[in-house]
Parts: sequence; structure tokens; C-alpha cells
Amino acid sequence: MRLPAGSIEEDYIVKVDKLSVYFTKGGMFSKKVLIKAIDNVSLRIKNREILGVVGESGSGKTTLGRTTIGLQKPTYGNVYLKVDGKEINVGKSPLKKVNKYVQMIYQDPYSSIDPIMRVYDVLAMPLKYRKEKDIEARIEEAMRLVDLPLELLENRVYQLSGGQRQRLSIARAIAVNPRYVVADEPTTMLDASLKGEILKIIKDAREAKNISFMLITHELPIAKIISDRISVLYLGKLVELGRSDEIIKNPLHPYTQALIDAYPTINPELKDKIKEIKIKPDIVRPEKGCVFAPRCPFAMPKCKEREPELKEVSQGHYVACWLY
Amino acid sequence: MLLEVKNLKIYFYTKRGVVKAVDSVNLNVDKGEIVGLAGESGSGKSTIGYGIMRLVPFPGKIVDGQVLFKGEDILKMDEDTFRKNYRWKKIAMVFQGSMSGFTPVFKIKDQIIEVLKLHGWNGDYEERVRELFKMVNMDPILADKYPHELSGGQKQRAFIAMALALNPELLIADEPTTALDVIVQENILNLLKRLRKDLGISIIFITHDLALLSEISDRDYILYAGKVMESGPSEVIFKRPRHPYTQALIESIATLDKDVIKGIPGSMPDLSNPPTGCRFNTRCPFAKDICFKEEPKMKIFSDGDEVACWLY
Repeated sequence: MRLPAGSIEEDYIVKVDKLSVYFTKGGMFSKKVLIKAIDNVSLRIKNREILGVVGESGSGKTTLGRTTIGLQKPTYGNVYLKVDGKEINVGKSPLKKVNKYVQMIYQDPYSSIDPIMRVYDVLAMPLKYRKEKDIEARIEEAMRLVDLPLELLENRVYQLSGGQRQRLSIARAIAVNPRYVVADEPTTMLDASLKGEILKIIKDAREAKNISFMLITHELPIAKIISDRISVLYLGKLVELGRSDEIIKNPLHPYTQALIDAYPTINPELKDKIKEIKIKPDIVRPEKGCVFAPRCPFAMPKCKEREPELKEVSQGHYVACWLY
Repeated sequence: MLLEVKNLKIYFYTKRGVVKAVDSVNLNVDKGEIVGLAGESGSGKSTIGYGIMRLVPFPGKIVDGQVLFKGEDILKMDEDTFRKNYRWKKIAMVFQGSMSGFTPVFKIKDQIIEVLKLHGWNGDYEERVRELFKMVNMDPILADKYPHELSGGQKQRAFIAMALALNPELLIADEPTTALDVIVQENILNLLKRLRKDLGISIIFITHDLALLSEISDRDYILYAGKVMESGPSEVIFKRPRHPYTQALIESIATLDKDVIKGIPGSMPDLSNPPTGCRFNTRCPFAKDICFKEEPKMKIFSDGDEVACWLY
């Protein structure tokens, strides 16, 4: 059997294996409810790959990212990190062991960096903590990679603009030479004029330092531009996975199709027209069957009864839908 | 003309100096028109909206200019007259993040009824709430819910319903779809387009998302650092923009047909100490000597485009 792209046994850095993460909600005044933030998801991130994770709010994309770096424990299943030929079980190993290899970039550069710290200290602290050598050189290298002038090192973080702060948070993440970085909506808070630059920096960092990325975003074009493959999450389920251009050009899952159709384009001719949206706007979580069935325009009786499994429809293109 | 803003100046008096957030802005809105105000953060787009509502937050002040609503200068009126006859009655606003603008402790219905009561609505309150919910495509049963029981999109639609409560003629929608998912976003856009068609209401649509704006607006004002850089019909602004800033901004929008997006190097100038000449001069690839000396005047083109740039 030919192995599908992206699941080649040897070449991966992150292996997510039948992962489920559940939370309980309520309990004090209301009935306890189990929220399946991630439900039986399996995927791999290859070495030097940028994997885009897209989905609406509540799809579980941040939970997935956090679980892959040990910030959230799996309820079921495992996450493995493979460094230098050795596998580390992320959920079962001490954080300190995992932290050596992983980093995170957060959405809001205003709350993820202490504003009164000096830029130099923001970068030096994690290096000192790891007892690294050549701190000065490492800091300079990181500043260069994110295109920040060295003069800023003496400034305080609050003196930086939003774009500069996000560059700094990327510099902080890559200065410690991680192998795998989770970037959670790194461009969402930034103005359009700055997004392009941030994407370029992430790509450059991959090239210069051989870092693999999980890039979480709700902006499909961002995922398309930067990632090698895109995975689409819906209510904690992985519904589609494939090469980025393939997902955008030839989406298979009705949910992915709706997302792409709805995405705004520059189109002043639309101003007097109503844009037809095939799926219902409100998310409904069904008790059984396919999670998307309540909103799906193609739902069949089977969809309401049984859950479709992720299957490979063409090389490297996976979808969980009864239509295929 | 329904609304004419003339030479509006809104300054913020901060410890670090006077921030000229809105500086000599002119804009018009016709009856039934959807007008876009677009720009990056710090461009002054929301402040203009607050200015028209006379709700500029401290330490901001409207320093100069006129806001004519059907010819009447609403900046000259005393607060009482404005509150009784204009705010929410003729001009209503959907605030940025207004999804979280409902108090969590009262039912949506009661919060809308309070608006009706305060402004002396004649008629059956409950009936009006049902009518408003139908207008925004929501099941009236949802009016009986508490805010936390609704989804983000539902809350946003409910807030639009509340803004429409007194049949305003002008709706200022400040980033009405930000923080909502794409499918819900398009849903809200469709709703606003339908309201314009059915009620003949005028809408000022404030946003940083130009792709989204292009799908709804008739005319647009592109703002940068408190100044209008370019204004014109949407077909011109989005297809043949003249100002280098508009051009760069449109190139930087991430859409699915692009393989790369370009950014605009540099950042917005400090508005407590704006550069002399054109405010975009620090980032403009075409800047020449005169751009650093003198501010460009608005030039009007035959296709309705107005551009403040020394290139023309």
C-alpha cells in the first residue's frame, strides 16, 4: 500500500493519535454538560511543515494546538513529539522535558508580553532559563530574523507598535531554537498592512531554523498562503485534510465548501445582491451522527445516524463525509 | 443629503499631547445609501462614528466642524434636544463588540422595551419587539432569552434589532461583523442590505475589512491617520483606486485568490505629532519633496473619485 502524503512513518515531528479532549461545563446551577472540544482526531505534522488548522470559533483549534505542546492533557488518545529519532509522549511527560522543543505564539501581542519589560530581557530570559550560551548572538539572530532593528533592544515593550510586538513574540519563540511552534492566530489582531510581513517572517523562520509550525487561524486566505497542508476542524472533529491548494481549489466537505463560498472577495458588484449562503448560520451540536448534519445542505438519513470516518479520497486528501 | 459632515475635527487631550484623531474630515451620506468608512486601527474611523452620535469618549473633544442632519447642525444643539430627538431616534449605532453590549441579567426583550419606553414609543411594546425580531430574521421566541443563551451572531442581530427600535434614518455600524465567523458575517451583511432595501435606511459601515466592505457599500471613504485619503464610488475605490495608500491597502487584503499578500512597510505616524505635508509620506513609495512640505488638497475626478495626493 502506498503511504499517503503526510503520514510517512518516519518523517514527522508531531503525531496526534486518536486524541480527544473533553471539558465539563456547568454543574453549579445548571446540569453538567460534557463538551467534546476535540473528538477522536488523528494527524501528523511533518518535519519543516507548516500545517494550517482552520475552523470557526468553538471548533477546537486552540485546544488542539495547546494539547500538542502539553498545555492541555488529553482525555483519551496520545500526542507524540519525535525529536532526534526519539518519541516523547507529550501528555505523559513532565512539561520541562517537552518545553525544550516547543514554543507558542499567541494571538494578542498586547497581552502576551509584559509591557514594562525591556525588549532585551524578553528575549534573554528564556535563554538564561535554559542556561544557553552566546545569549547576545542568539538575540541578535532572532531580532534579524523578525526584521526588528537592534536599537529597539533597550526599549520597553510598551513603546513598540502592535506589529513590532508581534514580531517580538515570534522572536521570543524562535530564539530558543524550538523544533515545533504553535502559532495561534498570529495575524488576527494585526492590521491588513502588517499581516503579510508576519507571514513572511514565519516562513523565513522555518527556512532558517528548520522549525515545524501549527498555524491556527480562522482566516482561510492566511492558511492558504502560508501552510503546506490545511486541516479543517468542525466542532472538535477533523472533517477535511489535504494540501493547501487542493483544499481551496477542490474542497470536498460541504462545510469547507461553505466556508470558501462565504469568504469575502473584492467584489463591488455584490452590493445590491444577497449572497446566497447554503448552510444555516447557527451551530447545532447533534446527539449522534455526523456533527455537521444539522447544518448540511446535503444531509441524508444516514448522516443523522452514523458518523462518517476520515478517509482518503485522492492522494493525501482526506475527508470525513458520507458523500464520498 | 441626509448627513453632511463638514471639516470635522476631533482631538484627544492626553498627557502626551493633543492627538488629532480626526482632522478636517468631510463626508456625506445620502438617503438609502450605504457608505463605508475604512482604514487601519488609529485611522479615526470609529471616532467619526462616535462624533456623529455625540459620544466621543473622554479625553476627546469635538473641536471644530459641522454635522448637518437634514440641514440641521446637530453639534450646535444642547444635549437634551439631541438626546430626545436625534440619538437612537434618528441616528442609531451598532457598536464594536456590541454583542457583549447587553446586560447579562435581563432578558433581551426587556432591554429593547426599555429603549422603547425611554423614548416614548406609542404602541404595544411586546408587538414591536416581535416585529423587530422578524426584521432581523430571528425567531421572536428568542427575545425571551437572556443574552448568554444566544450565539454571537444571534446577539449581534438582536443588537441591530435594538438599534432599529425607533425607526432611525441613519444606522452607524461600527465593525458589526468583527469577531464573528465568516458564515455569520455574510449573514449580517445580507441582513443590512435587506434592511436598506426594505426600510430605505442609510448605513455608515465602519470596518477594517476591505473585502467585506466591497460587498456592501455604494461609496467609501478611505481614512489614514485622521484624514480622508480618497473617497468615491465602490467600483472606483476597489477596482481603480488612485491613492497609493488605497492601492497598497487593497493589495494587502488576504483573499483566497492570492498566493502572496504584500504588506505596507512602516507604521502609522504619531498623531500627537503628525508629519508635515501628507500624513502618508512616511510610508508612501511615491513620496516626493512636496509631499513632505505641503498637504495635498482633494482633487475631484469625473468618475466621482476624490483623492488627496500630489501625484494627481
